[in-house]
Amino acid sequence: MPTPPPVTLTPAEKEPGLRYYLKREPLILAVLSALTVLAFLGVSGLSRIYHVQQAALGNRWFTRGEADLKAHRDELAVNEFRTALLYSRDNFTYQLDLAEALIGLKKNNEAYAYLVNLWEREPENGLVNLELARIAVQRADTEKALRYYHNAIYAIWPGDQEVQRRNARLELIEYLLSINAKTQAQAELIALAENLDEDPATHARVGDLFLQAQDYEHALAEYRQSLKSDRHNAAELAGAGQAAFELGRYDIAQRYLAAAIAANPNDTQSAELLGTTELVLRMDPFRRQIPVDQRHRIVIQAFNAAGERLKACPAVDSSANIAAQPRLAEKWASMKPQITEEGLRRNPDLVEQAMNLVFDIERQTNAACGTPTGTDLALFLISKLHEGN
Amino acid sequence: MDESPNSPTETFLAIAEPPPLPRRSRGTLLRAVFREERLFLVLSVFIGIFSGLAVVCFRFAIDWCRIYLVGSGFTPSTTRLLLAPSLAGLVIAVLVIHVFPLARGSGVNQTKAALYIYNGYIPIRTAIGKFITAALAIGSGHSLGPEDPSLQIGASLASALGRRMKLSRDRMRLIAPVGAAAGLAAAFNAPISAVLFVIEEVIGRWTAGILGSVVLSAVSSVVVMRWFLGSESMFRIPAVQLKRPSELIAYSVLGIVGGFASVAFASGIATLRPWCKSLPRWTQYFQPALAGLLIGIIAVLGAPQVMGAGYVYIDEAMHGQFTWQMLGILAGLKIVATLLSFVSGTPGGMFAPTLFIGAMLGAAVGGAEHVWFPHLTGSPGTYALVGMGVLFAGFLRAPMTSVFMVLEVSGNYSIILPVMVANTLAYLIARGLQPVPIFDVLTRQDGLDLPSTEEQREEGILRVEDAMRVVTTPVLDGDETLEHAVQRLDEKSPDALLVRLNPVGWSSITKQELETMVKENKGGQTLGSVLGGRHIPCLHPDHPLEMALRYVDRWPLVPVVNRADFGKLEGVVTERDVLARYRDFGEG
Repeated sequence: MPTPPPVTLTPAEKEPGLRYYLKREPLILAVLSALTVLAFLGVSGLSRIYHVQQAALGNRWFTRGEADLKAHRDELAVNEFRTALLYSRDNFTYQLDLAEALIGLKKNNEAYAYLVNLWEREPENGLVNLELARIAVQRADTEKALRYYHNAIYAIWPGDQEVQRRNARLELIEYLLSINAKTQAQAELIALAENLDEDPATHARVGDLFLQAQDYEHALAEYRQSLKSDRHNAAELAGAGQAAFELGRYDIAQRYLAAAIAANPNDTQSAELLGTTELVLRMDPFRRQIPVDQRHRIVIQAFNAAGERLKACPAVDSSANIAAQPRLAEKWASMKPQITEEGLRRNPDLVEQAMNLVFDIERQTNAACGTPTGTDLALFLISKLHEGN
Repeated sequence: MDESPNSPTETFLAIAEPPPLPRRSRGTLLRAVFREERLFLVLSVFIGIFSGLAVVCFRFAIDWCRIYLVGSGFTPSTTRLLLAPSLAGLVIAVLVIHVFPLARGSGVNQTKAALYIYNGYIPIRTAIGKFITAALAIGSGHSLGPEDPSLQIGASLASALGRRMKLSRDRMRLIAPVGAAAGLAAAFNAPISAVLFVIEEVIGRWTAGILGSVVLSAVSSVVVMRWFLGSESMFRIPAVQLKRPSELIAYSVLGIVGGFASVAFASGIATLRPWCKSLPRWTQYFQPALAGLLIGIIAVLGAPQVMGAGYVYIDEAMHGQFTWQMLGILAGLKIVATLLSFVSGTPGGMFAPTLFIGAMLGAAVGGAEHVWFPHLTGSPGTYALVGMGVLFAGFLRAPMTSVFMVLEVSGNYSIILPVMVANTLAYLIARGLQPVPIFDVLTRQDGLDLPSTEEQREEGILRVEDAMRVVTTPVLDGDETLEHAVQRLDEKSPDALLVRLNPVGWSSITKQELETMVKENKGGQTLGSVLGGRHIPCLHPDHPLEMALRYVDRWPLVPVVNRADFGKLEGVVTERDVLARYRDFGEG
């Protein structure tokens, strides 16, 4: 360190008076202020050059990153977005794209950090909330997922806000259905259905979701809405048929399912459903406008089928809950001799008694031995149809 | 320590022999003092502004060097990684040896030397040299940081401004730290930490006279920096939480590991720096280049993160981008890279590397603990933040700054407990294993003897109670007559006697004076009436002993009284007692 120069004081400085201060202090401040202004101007010029260069570099790397992201070269894209952020750390778009690229690379933790940062800056941003919700879903953090999805639904979106919000809600509904939160899903679906436009595909998708959420009434309504523009759409006809079937409106179901199969003969599921539907319609002795003889034949057929079912499911009579009651098999056996066309003709009340026993048998065997097939399934469905009557 | 002018002791102190008036008239003196104080405060703002502007330009320069030397991409080419730091090292060596010899090193010690040795004088050429060489070094990838050079640039600008303003010597001494605080605050975007560091490490003590100026300059420099570079923090701070106090044990482990890492880092510098300096002079032209080449090789081999200040990678470590094994490796490699850069004499700071090592080490320890104890709730970011403070406390040995630095950077108060626990452990381990702090080691290696702030903090203070003795001689009362007092004396009585005045106060009288007054027929008068105007100062047992030195040469006996009852005598001190106590203390 060199020796500092000796400090020499002027006579005025040795014994300064007030005039000296008045002369000196304002002058010093004026000079310093002028220097400050000049220095500020100089640095502002430099700063402009610096920031323009930084922005250009950031933009260049961002463009490369976007190109690589589109080409699914996520690793490269992440590096390029990172570089872009070196030059424009605050850039919202760069950070968001980097986060999306990181999600593509399954680096959710880092993506989450960027997204949280962005969320703090723009908590109303729809895309940020949606991405955060997706990460929360992957982390099985339901609480956060629901919060971010709801934020996304009510957030500000670029472009067509309504479509983006609807898509966010659809994603939320799918998530709710995946975690079996059907009631919440139904509520979201009802809210969604209220604001749907005329797009048949959207109505069909919403119908599918209602179907998954077991809200068959709304599902049927949505499919019908969708079918208005394309009456022969096989998938929607099948969906409508299934919804009607679940609602117990078998005549409507039959119509839709038959049309669905006509439109798509390879639809085995609808064909199976149609078979059951037709069986239900055929095996229901209480349906209107059928001749008495036919009704009696149906009762006899149902009674016999129930007996077979009972034999195939002995567990039903060993259940502890029915130990104190007369066993179904005994009841069935005691009633069997009377269940003839003659017996039914003589005693019309037997129709109802026999069918009540049939329904009891089908319900209890369903509980004890699982869902039946064929006639038994039809009888079980008919029992549900007349439940409470 | 100065006693407050309004303390009870001073209020009734009437010194028999008033101190001589200064050469100037009292009015002129006061005017001068107040004028200079006011000017100094205003000047502090200007120092802050100029330092802030200089630091902004310094940041631009570092970035431009990096873009043009290493490249604008995140992953530079191998050729650039090897050539940029090596060739820059050659240029830096020539500049440091031939043009800017004072630009070598970090800059903290040079600023301290300006305060204690050179009356605040730092040539402006040092600032220019530091600016150019440090920007080249950091921009080309040497493992150094911009904070310490910014500190020195600020101090140098302040010194130049002070000289232009023809400030008094006292003010000139203080102006370098004012500039240092401004430079550091702007570089670090953390005014509180900068103020604390300068007070803790450079000035070494809290003085009201300087605090206002340091704060003003730090604040104004940060405002300027934010004006041009934005106010965003250096890192994206992760969510910090401490759910269970038992998790402090996990942070304690980090404190212990950090303490040992600090010692290893500091020992490396302490050993290698003198060795490098002892090599033939011609090798000094190649030392920075060789260091640069080795750092380039480390980068090519897979750790480009160790190049430059590395703030981007600290941010990534905070957000779980690296595995804990990789974090540990990066911490180790950064220590090596920083050692190479620093001991080769390349100008640049150690703040950023310290933070880098701390962050990597913290996240590594946190990550490893998570593997073994998955229930721990601290995120890697939390551990990285605490780790930064740990290395700051252990390596730079600035415990207060380390705590506030983490708080200021994180903006989160809930991190305070882990930081305090870990930092204290690291500090204690580092101090136990390496008693001399790194800045003092460097100072001594440079042949300077600057006061060690750590030693100052910890050195014992002698107090009046250490030198006072119990009163065995008679104490006269102010209401006693002179005749009565003389009668109480015998041959064994000492020459000087204390007199307790009423209602309050003390005086003293010699045996000879008493006898003379009695002979002059004043025997019927009371001691109080005779000695009314001769109050002597009194001390309290807890006063520093140096305070007694002000009085013991003028009064043979100085009373030591109780703070609650000034009439109650606790003991007396004499010049001989004080000197004997100092002699004993000096002999250990």
